[in-house]
Amino acid sequence: MDRNMQEEFTQIVKFQPPLYKQRYQFVKDLVEKYKPKKVADLGCGDCSLLWMLKFCSCIEVLAGLDICANKMKEKMHTLSPLPVDYLQPSERSLTVTLHHGSVAHKDPCMLGFDLVTCIELIEHLEESELKKFPEVVFGFMAPSIVVISTPNSEFNTLLPGVKLYRHPDHKFEWSQAQFQSWALETARCYDYSVEFTGVGQPPTGMEKIGFCTQIGVFLRKYPQTGESVQSEKPTEAVYKTVFKAVYPSLKDEKYLQNAVIREVTFTAEIMKHHFMLKRAECSDDPERKPKSQPPVDCFSDCLGKLVIEKNMEPFVSGNEVYIPLTTIFCFPKVKRLCGTFEKLCKLIAGKVTLSSDGSAVMFNIEHENE
Amino acid sequence: TIGLQVSSGLQDLSLRDRGGRRRDFHDLGVNTRQAMVHVQESKTGCSGRMIKLTTNHFRLTSRPQWALYQYHVGYSPEMEARRLRSALLFQHEETIGRTHAFDGSILFLPKKLESKVTELFSRTRNGDDVKITVTLTNELPPTSPTCLQFYNIIFRRLLKMLNLQQIGRNYYNPSDPVSIPNHRLMVWLGFTSSILQYEENIMLCADVSHKVLREETVLDTMHSLHSQVGEERFRDACAKELIGLIVLTKYNNRTYRIDDIDWDNNPKGTFRKSDGSEMSFVEYYKKQYNIEISDWMQPVLISQMKRKRGNIQGSVALIPELCSLTGLTDKMRSDFNMMKDLAIHTRLPPEQRQRELGRLLTYIQKDDNVQKELRNWGLSFDYKSVSFTGRVVQGEKIFQSGTMFDYNPQFADWTKETRGVPLIRAVPMDSWLLIYTRRNYDVANTLLQSLFKVTPSMGIRMNKPNMIEVDDRTETYLRVLQQRVTPDTNIVVCILSSSRKDKYDAIKKYLCTDCPIPSQCVLARTLSKPQTIMTVATKIALQMNCKMGGELWSVEIPLKQVMIVGIDCYHDTVSGRQSIAGFVASLNQTVTRWFSRCVVQSRGQELVDGIKACLQTALRNWSKWNKCLPSRIFVYRDGVGDGQLNTLVNYEVPQFLDCLKSIGTDYSPRLTVIVVKKRVGARFFAEIGGGLRNPPPGTVVDTVVTRPEWYDFFIVSQTVKNGCVAPTHYNVVYDTSQLKPDHVQRLTYKLCHMYYNWSGIIRVPAPCQYAHKLAFLVGQSIHREPNLMLSDRLYYL
Repeated sequence: MDRNMQEEFTQIVKFQPPLYKQRYQFVKDLVEKYKPKKVADLGCGDCSLLWMLKFCSCIEVLAGLDICANKMKEKMHTLSPLPVDYLQPSERSLTVTLHHGSVAHKDPCMLGFDLVTCIELIEHLEESELKKFPEVVFGFMAPSIVVISTPNSEFNTLLPGVKLYRHPDHKFEWSQAQFQSWALETARCYDYSVEFTGVGQPPTGMEKIGFCTQIGVFLRKYPQTGESVQSEKPTEAVYKTVFKAVYPSLKDEKYLQNAVIREVTFTAEIMKHHFMLKRAECSDDPERKPKSQPPVDCFSDCLGKLVIEKNMEPFVSGNEVYIPLTTIFCFPKVKRLCGTFEKLCKLIAGKVTLSSDGSAVMFNIEHENE
Repeated sequence: TIGLQVSSGLQDLSLRDRGGRRRDFHDLGVNTRQAMVHVQESKTGCSGRMIKLTTNHFRLTSRPQWALYQYHVGYSPEMEARRLRSALLFQHEETIGRTHAFDGSILFLPKKLESKVTELFSRTRNGDDVKITVTLTNELPPTSPTCLQFYNIIFRRLLKMLNLQQIGRNYYNPSDPVSIPNHRLMVWLGFTSSILQYEENIMLCADVSHKVLREETVLDTMHSLHSQVGEERFRDACAKELIGLIVLTKYNNRTYRIDDIDWDNNPKGTFRKSDGSEMSFVEYYKKQYNIEISDWMQPVLISQMKRKRGNIQGSVALIPELCSLTGLTDKMRSDFNMMKDLAIHTRLPPEQRQRELGRLLTYIQKDDNVQKELRNWGLSFDYKSVSFTGRVVQGEKIFQSGTMFDYNPQFADWTKETRGVPLIRAVPMDSWLLIYTRRNYDVANTLLQSLFKVTPSMGIRMNKPNMIEVDDRTETYLRVLQQRVTPDTNIVVCILSSSRKDKYDAIKKYLCTDCPIPSQCVLARTLSKPQTIMTVATKIALQMNCKMGGELWSVEIPLKQVMIVGIDCYHDTVSGRQSIAGFVASLNQTVTRWFSRCVVQSRGQELVDGIKACLQTALRNWSKWNKCLPSRIFVYRDGVGDGQLNTLVNYEVPQFLDCLKSIGTDYSPRLTVIVVKKRVGARFFAEIGGGLRNPPPGTVVDTVVTRPEWYDFFIVSQTVKNGCVAPTHYNVVYDTSQLKPDHVQRLTYKLCHMYYNWSGIIRVPAPCQYAHKLAFLVGQSIHREPNLMLSDRLYYL
């Protein structure tokens, strides 16, 4: 069941990095190459592959499926958002879901994925399950890419201590020919192309034994013909959801608004601070002379360029300082968050104190010293 | 010799919480009461009127005859990996059951296995057979220390199940934060919890907690510091602002303390991975977490690993860009506006606080998984908080120059009552300096006029000062002080235009060490409002009088020949990690004059050696003032952290006794040592008119929520305008006074009236607050022991 540990004892000396890490890296490289948005890991076990994938910035939906709920629950909290994810919500949205169920059953929650990974999964399947597996994954889920990895039995002679199979729960282990013929047949049947590769190089001189782990990468030949394919096979939900985490994202209006208010208020505060300092320069305080001004950093640099335009400068009227929104909008961070000036106005309306015409952020400076 | 023993109940406990910390935060197993015969029967007081109170404690209940079964689990052949050990053991869930807690060698079960020794057989993935021997080692009653630790771990599991996020020791709810955008702050609501054995029951003490998080990275903070202070002071400013702060990272759920900043390193620098290979930070974060570090010139933060992993004590390097700050800096705490904005969200009045707490308990009650977990262990909670009766002791009379005052117990303040009444001892201001900048000329004159108006009624004789105008530079201030201060100068008053710390520090340092003269710094801003100037001038006059050795008021202290000592610590996290202990001891019968010293200790040294020396000089001074040695000594010891009680009892108290012995063979005064703790989880609410209110000052609690193994009590002495009042916990760890608990409680409460910087009742006995003030001034500004010439005055107020 614990796919990561099964080879640790015998092979840690042989493979560097360890084989399981090489398998994960293989999946990560694949993700980098094809940039899938929705990825499902079948037989996700203790969720360690999912945990690695959550850092891939192209992925917006991650799902895991396993037959053993306890195994998933053991470390599923590592898939929860971190405090920092709430503090600095990311641009992308991300939802992670874990399902308890079997790859021999169809569930609509597995539809619409771009990439489905089955790392060291099929050798754990009973014959009846293995029979249904291609129809569920290739026929029903029908993602653009499927990755299947499984032990190469020809390699076992090189592994000390392996008697029959590498793991007591394995129902079979295939030779290269066996795996390839199964894969080619499956690909043909569901209109996929397949390429074979693997991880865990055989020793020099024994190349024909093949990789320790053999991998098939299946690519769907034709683009999905729309919803018709799926609607032909209505199914009921049979998986049980054991975990779901929705990551805070700027795509969510709530977080976007908060981020914009924060950035606008903060930018305005700094501009006010600079503005007031400038006004105070003519006072009698020798330690406030321009000579002790901080060297130009990226912020004041930006500020310098901005205030060239006269009507964009902060100004004082009575007890209030006004920082024009147009100036604030020029800051790259604000601009990037809002996109348009109209959006900026809409997001901060009622949340930030503005001048009566709504064109500037307003501060009362009556109670401030200097 | 003093018969204090610490039970070893926790020694063999190995069940660990996340992070594997073994520190005993609750000071379990320190049994001090057993050595004090006079409080064996009862440690409760009797005076005052009864008051109905509720608290934030909830009873933990278990099945009758409940016990926790502790097993040792052995493997043959020996298995190293903890995960493997667990995997092999849990292949036998049908035997051991689904409810268990296992740390790799010790297994806790809610049920007893059929036989004392159970042998199980598992097979590893390699097909090797392993024999597992599960042996019953202990049957733990619900009140054993191990069980208590265990309850706390289980409760934390429950909070995690409720999807709360752990930050530090507490759990917070991230889904409903309060954002305070103008300070870039975010506040999370959460809970503190601890389960302990109290007088009669095991109870959960839960409280609402707020976590302040900063919506900016450490790199952002560095950028804004750079624009504030400039290149020259940049590194210094970063060290001051950042070292000691706790950060969260973008990629894992751990907190780190910033211990240092490595300016010679940057993200392109390399580190050695556990497999021995070298890798740059940029490469590592890209590969491991797909994170692109954008600024390759930033320095690297260093965090020391607290616990030893495989006996290697190492440090971790962190990238500022990937770290978010938590909590408040001292600078932020002193920002009045920020604290005001925060208080709106964090200062919850009693009703609201209990309501929030109620919400947590509702979550616990409603969540099926949580209830299942509790049921499996055979535990449950009373979802209604504990109620009991406390006592409100009578208010004190304030004496000032032969006049006696009562104060309104609701406000616990006598500013109005004592206005215009002569002070007990008014020190004349015959020769004094008033230093100001040109810009503050008017302000200086306003202050002077107002002082002339308020001082006569206090009995303070005041001459015209030496008025000195300076330009606003630190050097100028110092030069003026060097030239104009004479040995006859009573006090130096400086009007400062900004709260810039370096100027203040320089003035204080000079006048506390090289040239020991009392000084008073005033911010020009505080004098600028005409409507408050008289109040401000009154406060300043009182403060100056104390700094010169004056006395303001007194309360009745019925004990004779008594010396009261207060000790508090300040830990300087920035410059060289000094620790400073403030030590204050009374000099006279009325407890209105104090002898003050402090101990500056660099890292690794023990504070207690210095404290011993302080106690010796204090006794010498007391005998000089009173022509005899005190027959009773009360030590109020503040600044004892969670888990340090053991050290205090076993090391510090014997040192006090040693010190007394060294005075003379025939000298054996009665000694009482009381540990004072302000940061406690307990909250009390008075049930008044169907609602919950803060209990009035003078509320004493010495039953139900105190600990059976201690001689301890709570006093609510101060009042608060908003939010909930926090009781102060007093733990009498050593006592040969033979006084009744009631008298010790009353004396403690009296001493809360004696802090001269506040004409009202404060949270701790005055000597503790004086000691705190002293340690803070030395730790923040002076960094070495002030001149002993000042030690008979409250120069640090």
